[in-house]
Amino acid sequence: MARSSATVMKQGKLAPWLYLLPAIIIMSIFIVYPMLNTINLSFLNKDSSASAATTCREGEACWGVFENYRYALTAELDLSNSKTAWQSFWISSYGNMLKWLVVMVAGTVGLGLVFAVLADRIRHEALAKAIIFMPMAISFVGAGVIWKFMYNYGTSQTQIGLLNAVITGLGLEPVSFLSKIPLNTFMLILVGIWMWTGFCMTILSSAIKSIPEEVIEAAHIDGASNFKTFTRIQVPIILPTIVVVITTMVINVLKLFDIVYVMTGGNFGTGVIASRMYTEMYTNAQYGRGTAIAVILIILIIPFIIMNIRRFAKQEAAR
Amino acid sequence: MKQNRPIWTLLAVALAASLLIAACAAPTTPATPAPVEEQPVQEEPVQEQPAAGEIDCTGVNAGDTVTMLYQWSGIEEENLTKILTPWMQACGVTVTPEASRDQALLDTRIQAGTPPDVAFWTVTQLTQYKDKLIDMATLGANSVNYAGYWQNIGSVDGKWLGLPVKADPKTLIWYSPKQFEAAGYTVPTTWEELDALVEKMVADGRVPWSLGMESGDATGWTGTDFIQDILLVKQGPDYVNGIIAGTVAYDDAGVKEAYEIYGKWAKDPAYTVAGAEGTVSTGFNDAILKVFAEEPEAMMVKQSGFAGGTIVGNYPDLVYGTDFDFFGVPGAQGLQGGSDWLMAFNDTPAVRSLIKYLSSDLGGKTWAEVGFDLTPNAAGAMAYIDPQLLKKAEILSSATNFTADIGDSIPGGFGSAEFKGITDFVNGADLDAVLATIAAAQKDAMSK
Repeated sequence: MARSSATVMKQGKLAPWLYLLPAIIIMSIFIVYPMLNTINLSFLNKDSSASAATTCREGEACWGVFENYRYALTAELDLSNSKTAWQSFWISSYGNMLKWLVVMVAGTVGLGLVFAVLADRIRHEALAKAIIFMPMAISFVGAGVIWKFMYNYGTSQTQIGLLNAVITGLGLEPVSFLSKIPLNTFMLILVGIWMWTGFCMTILSSAIKSIPEEVIEAAHIDGASNFKTFTRIQVPIILPTIVVVITTMVINVLKLFDIVYVMTGGNFGTGVIASRMYTEMYTNAQYGRGTAIAVILIILIIPFIIMNIRRFAKQEAAR
Repeated sequence: MKQNRPIWTLLAVALAASLLIAACAAPTTPATPAPVEEQPVQEEPVQEQPAAGEIDCTGVNAGDTVTMLYQWSGIEEENLTKILTPWMQACGVTVTPEASRDQALLDTRIQAGTPPDVAFWTVTQLTQYKDKLIDMATLGANSVNYAGYWQNIGSVDGKWLGLPVKADPKTLIWYSPKQFEAAGYTVPTTWEELDALVEKMVADGRVPWSLGMESGDATGWTGTDFIQDILLVKQGPDYVNGIIAGTVAYDDAGVKEAYEIYGKWAKDPAYTVAGAEGTVSTGFNDAILKVFAEEPEAMMVKQSGFAGGTIVGNYPDLVYGTDFDFFGVPGAQGLQGGSDWLMAFNDTPAVRSLIKYLSSDLGGKTWAEVGFDLTPNAAGAMAYIDPQLLKKAEILSSATNFTADIGDSIPGGFGSAEFKGITDFVNGADLDAVLATIAAAQKDAMSK
């Protein structure tokens, strides 16, 4: 090895690995091993005592050792005809995931961007941003409980839910926000947007502030309106940051669990992948199915993690 | 917070690890300080003294111990100690108890060949451990004090393996006698009378039921309880046990009929508070209180025995018997509810004397006087001091059978499918599709 070399500056081949060793050990024990074990369990039956293929029943669809994946992917769907399949998809955990992805990512990033730009121009910027960021400081379960009260549906004259108090105050009938399909999922997404907009705003705001003042001034001198400056100058410059925020939010939304679990328990067609995983794993003690759903979730998240890492690597390289 | 920063990962890992350690460690350490075996007993050694009341201590040496495992803690455990004290004093026996709600602990002990002398657990364990358990007849249980159906439930392959010690029936309907009197209603004694009463209330412009079933991720359980009671009325306990055993499919016509009866009430604002939306989004505790509020929103609520505590807890001025009361679901051929069973893994004189004591008249009476829910021991039937327990005991002693909760009895996803199913049904889903889904979960659970 390199030991014979007398140069002080040259690093041995072993040294970097020694530095990495603690991290490697910790990662192996707490990340790599559980992940491999999860994949292994997803091919076994509910108490991990035999292959998943043994759970197949005669006369019914069977994917062999991938039986848990068949369950994870198709059990929520009513495949009797294309119409029912379509309908059941939109209230399945996957359909709900799509709703969450589209509405929540667009909502948090869009609103975050708007707030970041607007806050940049007002006098009490710090205060305004603090207020919008505040929900991030509340625990997710806490926020779920708070919003459960906001949406509360009372059957008597007195409404303890703020929204229904307003609605009945206007002389209208109270709305059962959390059980009405498909309204309920969007009411949950609203809670998610309320919580995460502050996070997006903070990151986007710092990106906007890093744009050199001269660029903006030059644009104004050239006669660009505020709106034009925003769309043609600011947004393109901070685009890499926007992409990172979007991918981060996509990962967050895919993992989302707390809001759904606390507010509806996944009932009324509001289940998402993570809440379903929890139910199969802990309520039903179906380890094979629970881990299969977990693996599907990992597979869905991986591309976005890769995108994020690449983006970070590029930024590091640019410094 | 959800960024994968190393520090957060580390913290989360540390937290998870400590939780894991705590979770693993908890069951192995007894929740109650177990008396050391060598410790001298305070009571004077009393050997072979059948004269001490009616307690039979044959063969017991003073200082003998009985190891126990049960799920009770706090006030429940105190109740059990109160019940066992006369026996411990008479025979000079000490007990070494362990309390844990973790059935895995019992499993591990049995597989390791070191089971407790006796365990108090649910009826499911009788089948599970049938090869390890000792016949109650061998141990000298006094079968005279137990109705035939109790012995049937406790028997596996013709052997009586479990002594029922505690029962908590759920087949109850709570109402306000004051409101009933003001409206001129009487408590129904048959299902037809109940049905007629419900229709009369609707005709009078009153809402008969408060069926709210919201309960977080367990939303739906008050609904499935109600379904099981309707099944007990319309089909009987054998049918219910058939569902649990898998011989009756959950999409059978009888089950469908029960859902239709329930659905007629649970979805219509004329029959229940705020109709389907009220049913799915009203918390089960709120549902109880709606019947007893200043301006009641409904006349009746079907709920387990704990409702009495909920009512008094929220309305301390209400008096049992005049402001609130209950009656058994009329026409039910048997009850549903939770029950606890004593099962013996070792045959020792001390275990025999414990079983003789608990199945004796004195044991039944002591259990009832302490008021630890109800005792299936017939000798205790009239010995309750608490009037609510006394009334429940009357309902229990006139019952002809006792069934466990269907959802709790079938492992592996059936329970949550049942809860979700009834919630979806009330919320507008197609009944046939819902029942097919639950039946699939039932079939799933049956095929190992």
